[in-house]
Amino acid sequence: MKKILILSSLTALLYVQSGCTQQTFLNPSTASQPQVIGTADGLITVCNALQFRFSTGGVVSVLYNAMAAGGLTTNELQVLNAGNSEELALSQGQANVTNGNGVARNLWTQCNLVKANADLVLANLATATDPGTRSGIQGYAAIFRALSLGTLAQFFQTAPIVVGENAPFVDRTVLFREAVATLEAAATQVASAPVSANFTTKAVPGIDIANTIQALIARYSLFAGDFDKAIAAAARVDLTKRSVFRFDDNTRNPVFFAAFGNVNVIAPTNNTLGLPAALAPTVADRRLAVYIRPTPVATLNLGTGFFTANNTEIPVYLPGEMLLIQAEAFARKSDLTNAVAQLNRVLTKTAAQDVFGVGAALPAYAGAVTATDVLTEIYRNRQIELAYQGFRLEDSRRFGRPGPGAVGSERNRNFMPYPRTETDNNTNAPTADPG
Amino acid sequence: MNQMYRTRKLLLLSSLLCSLGLSLLTSLAWGQATRYTVKGRITDDSGQPLPGATVLVAGTSIGTNSDADGNYTLGTTVKPGPATLVVSAIGYESVRQAITFGTTDQLTASVQLKTSTNNLNDLVVIGSTIQTSRRELGNAITTIKAQDLINSGSGGLLNSLQGKVPGAQITQNSGDPAGSISIRLRGIKSLSGSSDPLYVIDGVIVSNQSANVSQLAASADGGIGAANPGQNRLADINPNDIETLNVINGAAAAAQYGSRAANGVVLITTKRGKAGAPRITFSTSFNSNELRKGVPVNLVNKTFGNTQQRLYTINTFNTPAAQAGAVALNPATTFTPVFRDGTTNQLVSNVVEGVTRYNYFDQIFQTGTGMDNALSISGGTDKTQYVVSFGQLYNQGIIKGTDFTRYNLRARVDQRLTDWAKLSAGLSYINSFANEKANGNVFYSPINSINIVNNIYDITQRDASGNLRAVEGPRVNPLSTIEDMKFTQSINRTISDVQLNLTPFKGFTVDYILGVDAYGQVGQNYIRPYPYLAQASLGANLYPLGFAAVANNAVFQINSDLNVGYERQLTSDLKLNAVVGYSYQYFRSDFQTSSGQNLSPFIETVRGAASTTVLADYSLDRSILTGYFAQATIGYKNLAFLTGAIRQDQSSKFSPSLPAQSYPKLSGSLVLSDLDFWKNSGLGRTVNAVKLRASYGEAGNLTGINSYARFYQFSPVAYLGRNTLLPGAQLANPLVRPERMAELEAGLDLSFFGDRVNLGVTVYNQQIKDLVVNRVLAPSSGGSSIVNNVGTMENRGFEVMLGFSPIRSKDFQWDITAIYNQNRNRILSLGSPVITIDNSAGAPVTLLTGQPAGVFFSSAFARRPDGSLILTSTGFPQAERADVAQRAGSLDYVPARTSDGQVLVAGKTTANVIIGNPNPNWTGSLSSSFKYKRLGLNVLFDAVQGLQVFNADKRTRQGVGLGDFAAKELSGELQRGYIFAIYTTLEWRIDDGSYTKLRELGLNYDLPPLFKALRNLNVAVVGRNLYSWDKYNGFDPETNAGGANDLLRGVDFGNVPIPRTYQVRLTATF
Repeated sequence: MKKILILSSLTALLYVQSGCTQQTFLNPSTASQPQVIGTADGLITVCNALQFRFSTGGVVSVLYNAMAAGGLTTNELQVLNAGNSEELALSQGQANVTNGNGVARNLWTQCNLVKANADLVLANLATATDPGTRSGIQGYAAIFRALSLGTLAQFFQTAPIVVGENAPFVDRTVLFREAVATLEAAATQVASAPVSANFTTKAVPGIDIANTIQALIARYSLFAGDFDKAIAAAARVDLTKRSVFRFDDNTRNPVFFAAFGNVNVIAPTNNTLGLPAALAPTVADRRLAVYIRPTPVATLNLGTGFFTANNTEIPVYLPGEMLLIQAEAFARKSDLTNAVAQLNRVLTKTAAQDVFGVGAALPAYAGAVTATDVLTEIYRNRQIELAYQGFRLEDSRRFGRPGPGAVGSERNRNFMPYPRTETDNNTNAPTADPG
Repeated sequence: MNQMYRTRKLLLLSSLLCSLGLSLLTSLAWGQATRYTVKGRITDDSGQPLPGATVLVAGTSIGTNSDADGNYTLGTTVKPGPATLVVSAIGYESVRQAITFGTTDQLTASVQLKTSTNNLNDLVVIGSTIQTSRRELGNAITTIKAQDLINSGSGGLLNSLQGKVPGAQITQNSGDPAGSISIRLRGIKSLSGSSDPLYVIDGVIVSNQSANVSQLAASADGGIGAANPGQNRLADINPNDIETLNVINGAAAAAQYGSRAANGVVLITTKRGKAGAPRITFSTSFNSNELRKGVPVNLVNKTFGNTQQRLYTINTFNTPAAQAGAVALNPATTFTPVFRDGTTNQLVSNVVEGVTRYNYFDQIFQTGTGMDNALSISGGTDKTQYVVSFGQLYNQGIIKGTDFTRYNLRARVDQRLTDWAKLSAGLSYINSFANEKANGNVFYSPINSINIVNNIYDITQRDASGNLRAVEGPRVNPLSTIEDMKFTQSINRTISDVQLNLTPFKGFTVDYILGVDAYGQVGQNYIRPYPYLAQASLGANLYPLGFAAVANNAVFQINSDLNVGYERQLTSDLKLNAVVGYSYQYFRSDFQTSSGQNLSPFIETVRGAASTTVLADYSLDRSILTGYFAQATIGYKNLAFLTGAIRQDQSSKFSPSLPAQSYPKLSGSLVLSDLDFWKNSGLGRTVNAVKLRASYGEAGNLTGINSYARFYQFSPVAYLGRNTLLPGAQLANPLVRPERMAELEAGLDLSFFGDRVNLGVTVYNQQIKDLVVNRVLAPSSGGSSIVNNVGTMENRGFEVMLGFSPIRSKDFQWDITAIYNQNRNRILSLGSPVITIDNSAGAPVTLLTGQPAGVFFSSAFARRPDGSLILTSTGFPQAERADVAQRAGSLDYVPARTSDGQVLVAGKTTANVIIGNPNPNWTGSLSSSFKYKRLGLNVLFDAVQGLQVFNADKRTRQGVGLGDFAAKELSGELQRGYIFAIYTTLEWRIDDGSYTKLRELGLNYDLPPLFKALRNLNVAVVGRNLYSWDKYNGFDPETNAGGANDLLRGVDFGNVPIPRTYQVRLTATF
């Protein structure tokens, strides 16, 4: 009898335990996709993540890698320690930049992830029923979708728009236009309902949605060759407004963290921004004081600008870029009068007149008013006014500067090679190195 | 869910208590029937008393153990009639002796046991409560006995196993006092998780995890890739407590552990009390640890360029401005062109004399000392036996400021409740504490801080306040890593169990085990703000303003196993043994960290961090595994056995919609030598034992997948005070399944010349499928990886163990054991053409289809078909290039050549070649033990041969100028520019990692009894890792910067070398 009791109690125990077999444990420290896309607040948390993934993370961030790839391939930046082999390869250029290059891979991966995450937000806008909140969400997601498409197109000859397995690749011009289309749709929404306080109190502060949308339409329209659109959008940007990526001690300014805060990775090539003699800034150019440490010290990097502390804000765009976009677009439309007028706004701008304190304070343009000369001056000013923003490779190509291997070469690559992580796993990816 | 769990636990406890209470009542109520007392003495072949032998009435659990004098008393209440006593002891052949319970209630049965060397009748543990004799096994199982562990000269359990287990590759990953150890039984098993076996101590599944609580600075900010810098928690086990250790290499043997058995199982049995007067064993030892071998350091008092030139071997001066800068520092500067990768680079070539060079390694290494004290008291009556033990270990590392302290307290009580019920409870408490230094994977670790700085600074210089001074620009003064950084971890742990063994009806056994392993792990991390901050330019990754963090890991795991056994003699020839069992396993870990930077002066904890830098994290990991199993063995005439089993598992790690996983097994053994024809033939005299065995089994592996990997997760990140949920870059497959291994194993055990020579051979073929791979995705798909069951892999190999006893006399015994293992691992499919394993050493650790896991796949030197190097125009070796870019993961390429046979660089990508393989061709050991009267000598050589190590540090030392190649360039032995020219070709960083070590050398002597109470006094001197035969350009080829990570193997990056140890030990038994 007692034996039976004991045995049955053990059996009971077995039974009790087996009752828990099908238990599912969820992670209380993470959220699931249905949770996140199911509410407007959830979508806002992903909006913040777009900026987090794009701008923070040190050497992984898009901002650092765009700056490094743009600068190292064009003599703007140099490598301080040859042990940084990925950066070194970029500074050596051509075949040294392989499809395994870490900078190119990070640029590719992070831009594609931001794009995919932005798509997720944009696909679920219906969740945000309040129009003002929807404006904020759509505007924010559009900005980062455009930034990732645009950044990809600046460095790669082709890239996919759609997110998915074996995504097809399209020409970079198509990418720029896709970015613009996304921004235009967002602009319509934001115009119909101003961004609500509900959004702005929950979103990471710093980005001026309405102006940034126009600024990026201008930037990518210019790169796509749609000059009228570029001029119109750039003119719509309120140059007295600041739109910035913010940082703090935990999410640090990536360029300061990875480069300008030390003397071991990369730094400006010299105190004339590595430009050839003909394009070098004059000593009177007050912008140099913004971007180059006036008195070099061995323990500090030559680079300054918007990368001098953990929490230095990085502009999403500079007012000067909007002026130079207009100048260039006019010049390319052979409207040299307007081109020079816009160029002069940049040349004569003083630090006090610029919301970011970037002012050349130089005399107006006095050179020959020919398309070639005016464009060259615009190019030169882009390289100074927009230093370390990763535009130089794109600009060097667009302005037809001497390419890789050419006499007086100013860039050692035209485009980045397609990273192996992509080409190995996407049957539609081109494998040829565009050089 | 929590509530549910608590309720369940309560129920479980109450039913257990209930059953205990009942048993006690029962034992009181029993005893009216005929009571017999069997007494006797158990002796060994030489007639000496044999303590600890088990005496059992066959078919029941009525039994006892012999006491210290070999005597036993067995009280039992049974019906009169014939019965069989089974007397067994580990290392002896068990004996079955018939007795008859008749009219006298006092019986005597003394038994002499014969030493067993062919082990066929040895009992081996194959599950929590399941034992079987070796002859019944269809698989290879290795038994390690206490003495083998004690003679190793190490206080670490796993260290002590090195060279002793066939089929195992046991690697000490780091020479730190509690540095992790990796055990691989028959090769690597998983491409995502651990390949370490499952450890079970007295039926308690114990954690061997390597949670990182003390190296948080390393894992923050970009981190150290896949490397795992944690200790492994088996470091908490005191080898002195262990009686035997059974290593089950194959999948088939460990049917009881189903989903967790694929990596093999190590079943540890601790010492138990023996009836008799209290017996006290005390041992104390003192040891000293020293650096066995240093690395070559450049002590040529010269440099290139100018006295302060950083990176003088590799820095280029390609622009006029750069050259002007160098000339400004030294007008005598000259330049030499070096052609590499299609470009000509200018290096400084003038030699500067009179540069003082230092060997910084002298400043960070020390001779460490340690001690290991153990005390145990055991005794009891025929009904109750107990053992209580205490251990105290203190061991200093060879890096200044590192040590490991461990206290072990353990008690076990075995109580016979009734004739048919026995209760056993084991309780242990462990406290351990480690003082560590930064993990080698960062450049503020003791060894890597030296590897990364030119050795021209006097690092001992101090300012007026006694603070260290800056060295080379962005580098840390190596002494800072010793003096100004603290990384500690402390562990409080209990591993406890309650077991109930019942024999309620004839032929039936019921065994229940409740096992708990619970521990709290607290890590402290501190980097003092560098006092020389203003003079140096330290990068953010070195935490210039200081770093502090604390981590707390509370782990609770419980297993509750019920096994019901049935034994029946079906006919006079056929016997059936069957077991059915149920197991419930629950795991929970609460892991908390908080960290911060910019520390207040004087404050060493996170409380002193600037508020803007503080980050907190919490993760909860829970999982449940439940499983049923059934096993049956049919024995024919005790010489042929056939075993079939099935285990069915379900785990919360997987979707409830997945069906339960079933793992079948089938095995058989045949003791040929017990057949009459063999015994009667002449063969039987030469080959006295022959056993054939074969098995097929399937097992699972859950280590590759974490509890939430099947969910696509959005993780919160701290971002400017606004709620941010970052979509995972890792996508998820909700239907991910456990990894499965199927193994076919066959073997042969032979004994020759009256057990003088024993040979065991095992061949195996493991096919692993559904491997969980964190497969790389094209980023355009919206993620960078996905966890999925896409891999297959195989391990094929064989193990040979040869034992030989040339001399076996009363006074003189000599035994030799040789072990040889060969394993060939191969990835059969991967789901991706290629997967690279992230690490901070820059090692090209790669998974490739058709290749062993973790090969080094990168650039190699260009060679002609005859193997000679193709030199560049400036006379240096150069990287091979592919004429057409290789397909992903492909080894095939056509070398790019110009018409005159030179390497064609322009437009050609570097060829990827397998430049090294961290998996050895073979491992083996040779051990010998002599015993002459009271004197014993044992030697163990341990070999790992035919593998390569990625020696990351070698190149770093040359680049900064403190290495041997730098010395050769300075002295002109190597052409100037050699280091620069080959710097980017990774083949240069591959070294032969083969070694043969004099692992153990020990001498021990039994002193004559000094006084009556002293039964035994033994003095031993043991040396460990005394010498290594290798060709390695570094400290020690036995090293793993990846720590406990099983894919990142054979990488040397700032690792602490394994010390040479001398130990003196005194053991006394009273």
